[in-house]
Amino acid sequence: MPQLMAQISDPKIAFAYLRPACVLLTKQPTVTNVETLSAQLKEVDDATLQQLQDYVLFPLRFVLKVPGPKKDKLVQTVSEAISYVLENTCVQNWDTLHDLLSELCLCLCSPADPGKPADTSEELQSAVLRCLDALLHAAYGDIVFKLFEPVMLPGLGAAISLLLALAQKAKSREIQVLALKCLQALSLQCDCNQDHIVPSSEERCITGSTMASFLPGITVAVTKIITGDLRQGHTVTVKAIKVWSRTVVLVMEDAQLQVSEPQKTPSPALGRIGQLVVQRTPDWAKSTAGKLCVLLQKIISCTSSHQHWRVRLVMVELADHLLDRCNQSLKECVGPLLEALVGAVNDEEPRVRERCEVALRAVSQRNQISDNSSSAQTFTDVLSENLHTLATSLPRLMRTSDDPKKLFVLNVFLGYLKLLGPLVSVVLNSAVHLERISKALMQVLELDVMDVRIVEERSYAATIETTPGASDSYTAHIQRKHFLYFTDEKIFCVLMQICRTLGYFGNLYLLTDHFLDLYQQSSSYRKQAAMVLNELVKGAAGVDMVTQGQGLESQVQGLSATQEDLNSAIVSVMEEYTSLKNWHLITISEETDRDRQDQQLLSPASLLSISNSDDNNKNCLQVISSSFNPPSTSSSSSTIHQLNSNIWQLCIQLEGIACFAQALGQDFRPLLMTSLYPVLEKAGEETLLVSQAALGSAWDISKACGYPSLKDLVNENSDYLLNDISLNLQRLSQHPQAPRVLTVMLTHSDCSLLPLVGDIVQDVLMALDLSYDHTAALFCSVLHALMKALVRWFPSSCSKTRESARTKQSSSPEEVLDIRQFMLDYKKQKELAEGIGIEEDATIEDLEVPPPMECEDVEDLVGDVKTELPLHLSITKDVMERCIHLLSDPSLRVRLKVLDVLELCVSVLSEKENELLPMAHRCWPPLLQRLIADDPLAVLRAFRVRQTWMLFVRPPCPT
Amino acid sequence: MSRPAPTPVYTLRGAGGPLNTLHFSCNGGDTPLLYSGSGKGSIHIWNLNTRRAERIVEGHSGNSIIWVSTLQTTDTLISQGRDMQVCLWDLSEGRSEVADSVWTGSVGFCQCSVLETSPGNHLLAFPGQQTEEIKIIELPSKTLVCTLVPDTKMGMVMCVKLWQPDSGPGPLLVAGYEDGSLLLWDVTQRSILSQTKAHPEPVMCLTFDPERLRGISGSSEKNLASWTLDRQNNLQLQDNVTLVNPGVSQLCIRGDGKLLASAGWDHRVRVFGWKRLKPLAVLQYHTDMVQSVAFSDHQDPRERLLAAGSKDQRISLWSIYNEGADTG
Repeated sequence: MPQLMAQISDPKIAFAYLRPACVLLTKQPTVTNVETLSAQLKEVDDATLQQLQDYVLFPLRFVLKVPGPKKDKLVQTVSEAISYVLENTCVQNWDTLHDLLSELCLCLCSPADPGKPADTSEELQSAVLRCLDALLHAAYGDIVFKLFEPVMLPGLGAAISLLLALAQKAKSREIQVLALKCLQALSLQCDCNQDHIVPSSEERCITGSTMASFLPGITVAVTKIITGDLRQGHTVTVKAIKVWSRTVVLVMEDAQLQVSEPQKTPSPALGRIGQLVVQRTPDWAKSTAGKLCVLLQKIISCTSSHQHWRVRLVMVELADHLLDRCNQSLKECVGPLLEALVGAVNDEEPRVRERCEVALRAVSQRNQISDNSSSAQTFTDVLSENLHTLATSLPRLMRTSDDPKKLFVLNVFLGYLKLLGPLVSVVLNSAVHLERISKALMQVLELDVMDVRIVEERSYAATIETTPGASDSYTAHIQRKHFLYFTDEKIFCVLMQICRTLGYFGNLYLLTDHFLDLYQQSSSYRKQAAMVLNELVKGAAGVDMVTQGQGLESQVQGLSATQEDLNSAIVSVMEEYTSLKNWHLITISEETDRDRQDQQLLSPASLLSISNSDDNNKNCLQVISSSFNPPSTSSSSSTIHQLNSNIWQLCIQLEGIACFAQALGQDFRPLLMTSLYPVLEKAGEETLLVSQAALGSAWDISKACGYPSLKDLVNENSDYLLNDISLNLQRLSQHPQAPRVLTVMLTHSDCSLLPLVGDIVQDVLMALDLSYDHTAALFCSVLHALMKALVRWFPSSCSKTRESARTKQSSSPEEVLDIRQFMLDYKKQKELAEGIGIEEDATIEDLEVPPPMECEDVEDLVGDVKTELPLHLSITKDVMERCIHLLSDPSLRVRLKVLDVLELCVSVLSEKENELLPMAHRCWPPLLQRLIADDPLAVLRAFRVRQTWMLFVRPPCPT
Repeated sequence: MSRPAPTPVYTLRGAGGPLNTLHFSCNGGDTPLLYSGSGKGSIHIWNLNTRRAERIVEGHSGNSIIWVSTLQTTDTLISQGRDMQVCLWDLSEGRSEVADSVWTGSVGFCQCSVLETSPGNHLLAFPGQQTEEIKIIELPSKTLVCTLVPDTKMGMVMCVKLWQPDSGPGPLLVAGYEDGSLLLWDVTQRSILSQTKAHPEPVMCLTFDPERLRGISGSSEKNLASWTLDRQNNLQLQDNVTLVNPGVSQLCIRGDGKLLASAGWDHRVRVFGWKRLKPLAVLQYHTDMVQSVAFSDHQDPRERLLAAGSKDQRISLWSIYNEGADTG
């Protein structure tokens, strides 16, 4: 408060100035008079006030001492006035201190029981507590220790229990905090900004010895406060933890306990008070430590995952403090304390983390200093022992505890790993440790495979062309994994971080070997092991690792794996992932399959899937799976569980490949030879989740390998893909997915692929020619994808016309054909066919259609027929040739598909009438059959083809 | 015995033309390479690690390349084209320049044969301007060593093979002619040592194993003729191997002398045991005539590959009969 007026510095003047007010107050103890005095007090400077302290305090204390009930307001004002005096002066007189202390306590306590607070107003309580605080701060060093003489025990006890009661019971947080602060001040442990007495070790010992009497009371009560209401403000909890830790340190300090206290029997003069004196004997210390340990564990369990970081921070401080000062006396507590510290290593709050690192470093240093012989050794032993115990109990904890607790436990686990740092690899060299840890991870990471939706969702959209910006949409769709034993996403993050840390510090060979073993051993561990493997590799490469000198030897960096090790580990893991038995898993049950077929027949635009549209093909899949799975699972009714589990396994493995790409970066490019094909194979899968995961993985791979987009990835590596496709096309029975890969490839690439595609198309057609019966359906979708790609890559004027016609057509709200429009179109087409209104129609079309692209073949249209056809046209011709044969395939599905292909063929070929016309002519007879006598669906589709046709082929065809 | 038919380990595509000749260079250097010459005049240098064409060298003004090889001790590529030129390429440090060239004057399809006489010096045998003429020059000096012309009419030279026998002073050369004859020439004496009629049809290809003194030749008919050289350097015909389909474009013996591969006009590569000419495998992948086969010269026998180049513009690579390799 800035003093505008000069303060009175002459004691005499001050005395004269204050006297009337003091006298008046003594005579008439009213609020006004107190206020007058306190206003006047502010005009006197500190030194003068010090001289007049007793004089000024007298009337104020007198007011308090007057017997009989007093008004709250009066006591409050008096307390405030006394506070002012005490804040600006020192108490040099023991009697003043003692009397004021008891007088103030009397103001707080109920008249009947001095240990209980009276039912007074909160303002009063707060004012008195402040006054008490001021008093304790104002007390002179030489007198304050008198408080801790045995004689004072009852009074001190009353004050302490009063403060504790206030801290526990008060409704207002402010009062709770104030009471706790007073308690701190009372035990000379205050940490506020004011100057404090620094006790000598002897004085400290006296204080500690006296406070030992109150230790049980204080610690129990404060523990109750800490663990009490979770919703109480963090300030209260923080303060309470401070009181707890400081009191415990004061009493249980190693330095004090080690000095063997002279066993002085309490002087008989004390009488009954003597019973209150506690002798801090080793026995006493031991039993107290046991009790404190129980309380401490309560506190830790309650606060270590507290929401507010300040609480966690003060816990770290507590642990540090106790470990520093009481690590002999509180031996039993070292474990929990260390755990609390380690648990905070991965705190979200950087301030907590930093403090924790400092604390841990101090711990390890202390250990090194304390017993030099095998210091670090023992500490590591403790850590690895703790790690081991934790790993052992981890599965149980994961099953039984709630999510925050799990999170904490896992954080502790991670903390140990980080603390051990490079020593992790030493710990893991012990087979028992590794076994425990891996078992724990396997159990914790068990996936919930009950969701039916995952099995049912189909990807119609998977083959839709991806635009460069589409990567986000893929990552956004990624399904969350559901785990059996936890739901919190944070837990998963920590688990993955644990795996990465293992990979970062551990021996990569050992770990991948071990987890690959687990992967192969049991199908129930397979998914978890794969998840672990993925993260191990990432960790080993240092991807997503946050390590700022948290290890014991912070200068030692991890990264035990060289690029070469990493590469070979990745190769072996990936080989396992993509091996036949782990990659070609059934993800589709038969019955849902049927539904889907029906659905697809009705939605012509969607791409027919290959594998299960075709019976022969399905058999292949079955054969593969049954030859590798134990007979029990190969029974045709694979349960939803298994399907779901298979789907997840594939997803995890796909994610894994992406992880490996991230780990290797550009060095992954050579591995694309073997990995890209399997990934794209899964991208063509019709289970939504798998295809999404595969596309996501492909995006990640392209990013990791430095390709700007998925399209570039496919284009640049088309030679690798086509190599496998071409080989596998020749062995379709073993590799029924080859056409699917080609389909995906065509969907995600552009016309730069054409020369290579031309090559492969010949293979496709040859494979088709070799067995029309079995593979027709399979290849129809490839041909469809191919023609769609060609239409996209070579948009001709004509196809645009078709597009516009198509959009016009399908602009009706539902997919249902607009009958009227259809009839109109039909009429128009018919007229066209009959040669009516060709002229005007043509002009109309020209108006509608954007100007045709400048085709290089424009001259060819008129020019020489014998010039070599552009590749895409010759491919189209070849495809169309096959369509002629397939148009009369016995399977309706094939016929429908072929009609779709035919439609596309016509639009591609339309730019070269010389080619189109003869082909069209040859196509006509079987097409006519479709129009005349076939399933209604086929008729409809055939009509559409006919319609497209009309745009380009002027009739010779009879309608 | 009847294992499933092997499949190529991988295929190289994008050569853009029929493949006439292949040559491996996997021994030394970091990356194993395969050189291929196409009918469109380009030489592809394939990196076998990335399975991609590392470089494409265009030469011989678009004329078909019929033969490529490397000179072992130097960084030189040697290629023969239908433009009647043999070119020596300097490929070191990323260059691709014609360092030197020789005009052959031959319009035929006979591939050259090269022999290292001493480090840095080579003999090159190539068909000359006259129908029966074979010329041998020394490289890099390009001095003509000799011209070999038989006295009788035998038609065009179809194939030649030059080697240095263990005994005897000078290199020998065996040549196949259009009328089906094989002639053994002593290069230093410029004389015919021996002569035999191996095939009724033109000799399309031949190869010779200097260790076993045994050779084999193929023709446009169904038979492969094997022959040996006795101590007097006489060509003696041995067993015939009859193929299913006629026509062989190239024959190649693996470096360890255990396998023989033939490039068939029937799109297939056939593999025989070289010792007894026992048929071992038929490699089926190509969709057109196979025009060239080659075994790689990897140091580790397990990595050895067989390459086949075909008119269908693809090169297939196979890993067969490699000890310890699982594709066996």
